[in-house]
Amino acid sequence: MQRLEAPMRRHAPNEEVDYLIVGVGSAGGVLLQRLARAGFRVVGLEAGPFWDTERDWVSDEKGSHQLYWEDMRITGGENPLVFGANNSGKGVGGGSVHWAAFTPRFHPSDFEVYTRDGVGVDWPISYWDLKPYYELLELEMPVAGPAWYPWGDPHGYAYGAHPMGGVGNTLIRGCTKLGIPVSAGGPVAILSGSRNDRPHCIYRGFCIQGCKVGAKASTLITHVPDALRSGAEIRDCSMANRIHLGKDNRVTGVSYFDRAGREHFQKAKAVIVSGYAIETPRLLLNSACAGYENGLANSSDTVGRYLMAQAGTVVLGRFDELVRMYKAPPAHALTEEFYETDPKRDFARGFAIQTVGPLPIAFAKQMMAARGSWGWGMRRQMMDYNHWAALGLLGEILPWPENRVTLAEERDQWGIPVAHINFDLHENDKKLIEFARNKTEEVMRAAGATETAHEARYAHLVGAARMGEDPAKSVVDRYGRTHDIVNLFVCDGSVLPTQGSANPGLTIQALAARTADYLISQGTTVFSSDKRDLTPPPVRRELSPPGTHGKGVPRLG
Amino acid sequence: MKTDASTSKHGDRFPLDPRNGEPLAPRAQPGYYPGFSTLSQQSFWDAATREVVRKRIEEIPPLRFFTPNEVRLMEIVCEHLLPQDDRDVAHRIPILPFIDERLHDKRTPGYRFEVMPPDGAAYRLGLQAIEQMARTAHGRNFLDLSWREQDVLLKSIHDAEPLPGAEEIWARMPIHRYWGLVVQDCVEMYYAHPRAWDEIGFGGPAYPRAYMRLERGEAEPWEVEEKRYEWRAPNDAVSDPSVEEIAAHKEHPPAGQGGTH
Ligand SMILES: Cc1cc2nc3c(=O)[nH]c(=O)nc-3n(C[C@H](O)[C@H](O)[C@H](O)COP(=O)(O)OP(=O)(O)OC[C@H]3O[C@@H](n4cnc5c(N)ncnc54)[C@H](O)[C@@H]3O)c2cc1C
Ligand code: SF4
Repeated sequence: MQRLEAPMRRHAPNEEVDYLIVGVGSAGGVLLQRLARAGFRVVGLEAGPFWDTERDWVSDEKGSHQLYWEDMRITGGENPLVFGANNSGKGVGGGSVHWAAFTPRFHPSDFEVYTRDGVGVDWPISYWDLKPYYELLELEMPVAGPAWYPWGDPHGYAYGAHPMGGVGNTLIRGCTKLGIPVSAGGPVAILSGSRNDRPHCIYRGFCIQGCKVGAKASTLITHVPDALRSGAEIRDCSMANRIHLGKDNRVTGVSYFDRAGREHFQKAKAVIVSGYAIETPRLLLNSACAGYENGLANSSDTVGRYLMAQAGTVVLGRFDELVRMYKAPPAHALTEEFYETDPKRDFARGFAIQTVGPLPIAFAKQMMAARGSWGWGMRRQMMDYNHWAALGLLGEILPWPENRVTLAEERDQWGIPVAHINFDLHENDKKLIEFARNKTEEVMRAAGATETAHEARYAHLVGAARMGEDPAKSVVDRYGRTHDIVNLFVCDGSVLPTQGSANPGLTIQALAARTADYLISQGTTVFSSDKRDLTPPPVRRELSPPGTHGKGVPRLG
Repeated sequence: MKTDASTSKHGDRFPLDPRNGEPLAPRAQPGYYPGFSTLSQQSFWDAATREVVRKRIEEIPPLRFFTPNEVRLMEIVCEHLLPQDDRDVAHRIPILPFIDERLHDKRTPGYRFEVMPPDGAAYRLGLQAIEQMARTAHGRNFLDLSWREQDVLLKSIHDAEPLPGAEEIWARMPIHRYWGLVVQDCVEMYYAHPRAWDEIGFGGPAYPRAYMRLERGEAEPWEVEEKRYEWRAPNDAVSDPSVEEIAAHKEHPPAGQGGTH
């Protein structure tokens, strides 16, 4: 049973702190830990609760809605995205509480898709800038995977892959039949053996409902405990509604509503927004003020734009034999053989194929979408639940300016305008999805499926406050500092300029560790000076949570 | 059994034995895992999970959102969208009270399509449309239609080719989004119940004990082996197409709603 130390109030109401972080999710958790360990006075505001995992979490699909961001969002466009359980989290740990924990790295090509393929945009940093942070986070989570991982920048994992379940076997069998290389386990941020005070996976399959065991990494258990021990404060059930701008074009702090609906103001020398690709632009847009009428830090009119989701079409296959796909983590095996642009195909960029393991309610909804099942047909399909396996493709959708977050007329329970999201697919996206779906279906058939069906889906929202060199075309610089305001930063998935076809969580946390190193190397200049220094910071390995780096931790190479 | 079927107000609602066309007797536990009981394992579950499942079984929420007239309609709609005539009455799974609870508590799934009214209003409009379609097509109330007429009317919504009578409602509310909303709620409530887990052979909660047999679909020592039987959907039902018909089914617009990866 896992026991987490709850956060304590550390700062007086009118005290000015160094860094105020909005959102303690994937990125926010890592930032908080690094900055606290380096000695800054730092507070994290989190809209959702600090979890008592044993009391609050359950092994139950319907009982887990509280983990997801289920406040209203309005969705439109030709291919409207769905949110809630499908897309984002609420509560300390954010999306890392309910993610499936696939943790592939981005490929070197992802950072220069414009140069290579003339699509999307290049990043202001390269894979090699991020690589040391990938290596750190893979140990801090840690990630279990094969000793040799052949795609992108080939590398290996220090912790062994997991025993295979039914869906993993399906993917491996199908790929092998077709001569497609496949990772026979991982990379996933799930413990294959116990480490420190965290037990190993028990293969209960409820990863997306939160891992009560503590085997699956979330920043709630990997970084937040060390952040609290290092003096960070987390204020949970605190919903930020506005970032305030002072006279000298510097932000002064953030106002927020506490759990009783009372509004407070927290002063800070610098603010970092880590609220997810929807809530981050929403907060910036809602903080519009004199001088920033279109939204704070939005002189470029890119806040909210270039929102991306990955294509996540699920291909279902029925087998004569039993699969029982509810056992083992849904994230189990994958292939990145189709990741890179292939001149033989008629679209740019590529996709991955991964295992997924929908539990009964999710599977029933898939059957409704994939086959139009209802009534007795639904009952019949569901009686065959144990004969089905599910694979998900993960395809790169390019950044488009009209795919964006804006504010709607409608207001939420605090009176804050809710987010409106517009999402359309473009030609390249559609061709890529169709090709990827056919390939995934081919793998499913090769594995022995006698019937297949598919459900169109999108996952993993990123973008909407992208980083770039040009202040006219991006919101933040390569370290996450807004071009417009020297002491306002964005650090979460919304800074991604493009997204590859790797799940974004590891990259988001690696970027957070890098931003933290940058802020630490800047010392107090961020608080007092208007100077923008882009000198790369040294990699501070000693800031890893204890026991995740150095003596007693496996090494590679 | 015959008597039961023939005395039913709605005629032939029972699944049939394909060998002789006879109605299959309702069971305490339909499905291919006879004797499987997830609840029998609950002493191996954690306390929080046990409590959530206990409440679901024992504390059926009162109806507060729907009006009495709407309740009568919704009850029949739910019986078509998720029929349970193969279950004996004591082992049916309540659906409507949980939909009513969600709407009463104004709980959303975290989004609303911009073309849709709020969920509660969508439910009310949908019922109005169903009633208008019944009157226009048959000159009778939906509740007075035969079981088959009701099923066919609902299937016309499923097909997004609705019977006439509610054009102005479907112009305000895209028909496939309405259908998706209601079917999803029905399946969420049904497949959240341990009796449904037993029916489909889903092992259910497994913390802290763990699953140990991961490969080749093997059953845990406390799970049971599959034992299939053949059944045909009732004569009055149009919701169970053949595999060929499914394959011909044109792609439905709704995108997936559940989280997977
Ligand atoms: C079902 C599912 C499976 C997934 N599986 C994977 C996977 O296998 N691998 C992978 O890499 N990714 C996966 N993801 C995606 C991953 O969870 C996200 O990409 C990641 O968590 C995003 O990180 P973030 O820091 O941008 O935001 P989050 O982790 O969502 O953190 C944002 C936090 O900010 C808080 N917040 C927002 N607004 C405010 C405000 N105004 N005031 C206070 N607090 C606020 C939120 O409550 C939240 O806790 C999955 C997602 C889902 C839904
Ligand atoms: S399958 Fe493993 S990682 Fe996933 S919830 Fe269960 S114990 Fe945790």
